[in-house]
Amino acid sequence: MRKRLIAIIALIVLGSMMIFASPAKEKSAETSGPIELKFWSLFTGGDGEFFNAMIDEFNASQNEIHMTNDMVRFDDYYTRLTTALAAGTAPDVIVLHQARLINYVPSGTLLALDEYISDDMLSDFQSAPLEACRMDGQLYAIPFDVHPIVMYSNKALLEEAGVSEIPQTAEEFLAAAEAVKEKTGQWGSLIDNTTGTYKAYTLTRLFVSLVNQQGGSMLTDDLSAAAFNNEYGYNALVNLQMLVNEAGVNPNELDYDAAMNMFKLGEGAFYFNGVWATGTLEQTEGLEFIASPLPPFMGKSAAWTDSHTFAIPVQKNQDPVKVEAAIKFIDWMTANAHLWAKAGNIPTRTSVLEGAAFNELPYRADYAAAVSSVIPNPPTAAWGEIYETLSDLLESAVTKNEDPATALNNMENTVNEIISHY
Amino acid sequence: MIPGNKDTRDGILFSLPFMIVFALFMIYPLVFGFYISFFQWNILGTPKFIALQNYLDLLKDERFWSSLWHTLQFVLMTTPVLLILGFIMALLVTGKSPLKGIMETCFFVPYIFSMTVVATLWAWIMQKDFGIINQILRILGKDGVSWLTSEKNAMWSISIATYWWTAGFNMVLFTAGIKQISKEIYESATVDGAGPLQQIFHITIPLLKPTTILCLILQVIASFNVFGQVYVMTGGGPAGSTRVLVQYIYETGFNYFRMGYSAAMSYVLFLIIMVISVVQYAILGRRND
Amino acid sequence: MKKHSKNVIFRILEIFIIAIWIFPLVWMVITSLKYENEVVTRVFTFLPQNPTLHNYQEAFGSTYILQWLINSLVISVVTMVFTFLLDAPIAYAFAKIRFPGRNILFWVVMAGMMVPFQVLIVPLYLQFTSYGIINTLLSAILPRLALPIGIFILRQFYEGIPTALEEAAFIDGAGRLRTFVKIILPLGKAAATTVIILAFINAWNDFLWPLIAISDSVNYTITVGIANFQGTHGTEYAMIMAGAVIASLPELVFFLIFRRKIIDGIAMTGLKG
Repeated sequence: MRKRLIAIIALIVLGSMMIFASPAKEKSAETSGPIELKFWSLFTGGDGEFFNAMIDEFNASQNEIHMTNDMVRFDDYYTRLTTALAAGTAPDVIVLHQARLINYVPSGTLLALDEYISDDMLSDFQSAPLEACRMDGQLYAIPFDVHPIVMYSNKALLEEAGVSEIPQTAEEFLAAAEAVKEKTGQWGSLIDNTTGTYKAYTLTRLFVSLVNQQGGSMLTDDLSAAAFNNEYGYNALVNLQMLVNEAGVNPNELDYDAAMNMFKLGEGAFYFNGVWATGTLEQTEGLEFIASPLPPFMGKSAAWTDSHTFAIPVQKNQDPVKVEAAIKFIDWMTANAHLWAKAGNIPTRTSVLEGAAFNELPYRADYAAAVSSVIPNPPTAAWGEIYETLSDLLESAVTKNEDPATALNNMENTVNEIISHY
Repeated sequence: MIPGNKDTRDGILFSLPFMIVFALFMIYPLVFGFYISFFQWNILGTPKFIALQNYLDLLKDERFWSSLWHTLQFVLMTTPVLLILGFIMALLVTGKSPLKGIMETCFFVPYIFSMTVVATLWAWIMQKDFGIINQILRILGKDGVSWLTSEKNAMWSISIATYWWTAGFNMVLFTAGIKQISKEIYESATVDGAGPLQQIFHITIPLLKPTTILCLILQVIASFNVFGQVYVMTGGGPAGSTRVLVQYIYETGFNYFRMGYSAAMSYVLFLIIMVISVVQYAILGRRND
Repeated sequence: MKKHSKNVIFRILEIFIIAIWIFPLVWMVITSLKYENEVVTRVFTFLPQNPTLHNYQEAFGSTYILQWLINSLVISVVTMVFTFLLDAPIAYAFAKIRFPGRNILFWVVMAGMMVPFQVLIVPLYLQFTSYGIINTLLSAILPRLALPIGIFILRQFYEGIPTALEEAAFIDGAGRLRTFVKIILPLGKAAATTVIILAFINAWNDFLWPLIAISDSVNYTITVGIANFQGTHGTEYAMIMAGAVIASLPELVFFLIFRRKIIDGIAMTGLKG
């Protein structure tokens, strides 16, 4: 009995020591040596490896700044970031999706970067992704990459099925998928349509792309209501439903991870995902694939996209030294984005896009060309919730083959209701 | 009762340490949260007073009602099974079997694992393509089942993981109840010629009523607050069909940062749990009379 | 011997049930010993073809998993001790001291049991930020100290202690505190065990609050760390299972050592004192 008591007391002492010791550790690190910068990232899986390698290389490349990176899983990232911003405890540099900027800029939590960045550096950036980070004339973030949705095709299956050209229209796509299913016994396409680790985002990404390819858009120009409940939305939805149901070339109840795994194992011919999957697929042994920009299935070229950007949170006592160091970090990361392109992401700086290191990588040059037809995200704070909710509704519509008109009505009503809350 | 009655002073002194902590970390945030529920606030900007708008909104929010319904489904799917399972386990471990010690340990052991571990483990076991259940089904020549990715199975799959995780807790409570029943009652029943099954139905079950009520109350509160298993195993999917109320509260609050709305919903949940518990306490009270 | 063969059937049945119940844990360990390409494959193997500790090395090497275990242990033990120190006196007051407002206070505390924790998160977060202790282990501990169910259990037990024992102490000239420490606490040891075990398990398994309160990965608790580990490894099931094994091993050892105490302690919840 007494022994146990002693053990417990020892633990408490140990515990309190640890609680109070942890801040002390940080202090001693700050007094000398390089500038310590904290960074949170949301890169997981394949992306994460490439990103961590970049951070290591950045730290090794100079001894002035030391970057520490905390990887937070995607599900929790924005929760943590927003609470930290509200509390003023955010790290020195953060990564943000361009589509989310609108949720943070109006509240003044992000530092306007114009005065800190040299014109030299700015002029190196592609104007589209850079302008997307500007709000009310001020620059709040620096684009690190652009990552549109693309199409991956399994070479072996296409050859076996006698498909020699990458399909460019919806009809060609269906014919190719059916040929694959008939001749090889494998799936024609692998569009994930069910919630697993992630929601059925691929459906939303394709839906957005297909609506835009016909000349439509998701929201009205003044962003006050849904604008997809028309023939554009109808065509897009019916096509997605058809692949899974009438045509049966795409598995039903397929989640993101399963789709990725099945494509890796050669169990399907066409696979849709963001460019970020490229690196992971390239590392898969025995898989030969072609990656191509999203074909103009329904008219003109248009592809859903988003962009990772770097931003600097406003701190209570902003340390100019740290801001300067953060800018140096951002400069280095974007200027060396050919390393990031290994994962598949498209760099944003002209010098990188034209550099040899980037162009030696397969497919990437094609991707870069496709950037001209990406669809900008609607600049409204409601977009995040709309995007998530549409993924649920599309999942339901596709997996259960709901009546498309009813499903679209429901989607429209829900989106309008969401907008009314913001 | 005591000379120079200091009861009032002592009562306050003994209650004080807890009450300070309670007031700081329970009552204060509770009141503050209630206050927030009357505002539209995205945590970063300035709160805007909108009176009862959040409460009115949730009345016509289809996702709120569906989440509430899913929560209720979960309560109904888990509570009876967990009680029965716990009871059967308790019978097994209070029987004459030489294995009863091992059984007790095995049945209880999942309870000590943390929710993340349990949910991750079951998500892997039930994984559609490579999970062991479907691999075995395929070896047997059957099609794999969409455990977590089909609307009709997902909530049951989460429930199965929950059975495995928490049935042992109920078992312990039932075991304690059974052990309290005097041996003589059984002995006289045996003399009267009652078989083991008759004894269970006519002695054990009626005498376990207090334990059952306690299990029921604890179970219903726990099931109403379900979040972790769903969050890790299905993320509320497929198509939001397993999204429970606590998850919706979490999402509106911490994904979409509609703080006021989220707070308003949590107060409705609080109210529901409160009403159910009071009803149950009323039943419990009647038993004591 | 009909009875004998019936017994054999029962034993076999029982062994079967045990095997099923324990199987998920066995499968967790087996998966963790495989290489990833043996896990994500259509060619099903039960036992690992090339058993490897690679996943464990990776888990230890790429994360602060040991630190997370220590954090969880510290949080749980501190919570456990302070919960009891806070709960016991007020439970005693509720059970034995007649003071005005006692019943109202008791029901207020009990109502606390039903508060969904989500309600408190935002206010708590802002509160802790203003104290400057967000992102420390302390912030994970404080909101969990008020454990109303602990009071409920202790009060029930203390009520069953005969008042005569106390009165004898009073006559000997002992004050409230002395009576409480010398008589009530020792007699209430069984209930105390229950409360500290519940507090420990609660704290160890807490997920939502530490997820939000703690943002530096060094300070994660094991539950948050494992969820993060899982989220950042996507479909690397073998790796994820290795993380799960590491996370649960200490709990398992703790449980096997104090098995009797824990089970009996929880059994107490259901008994009237």
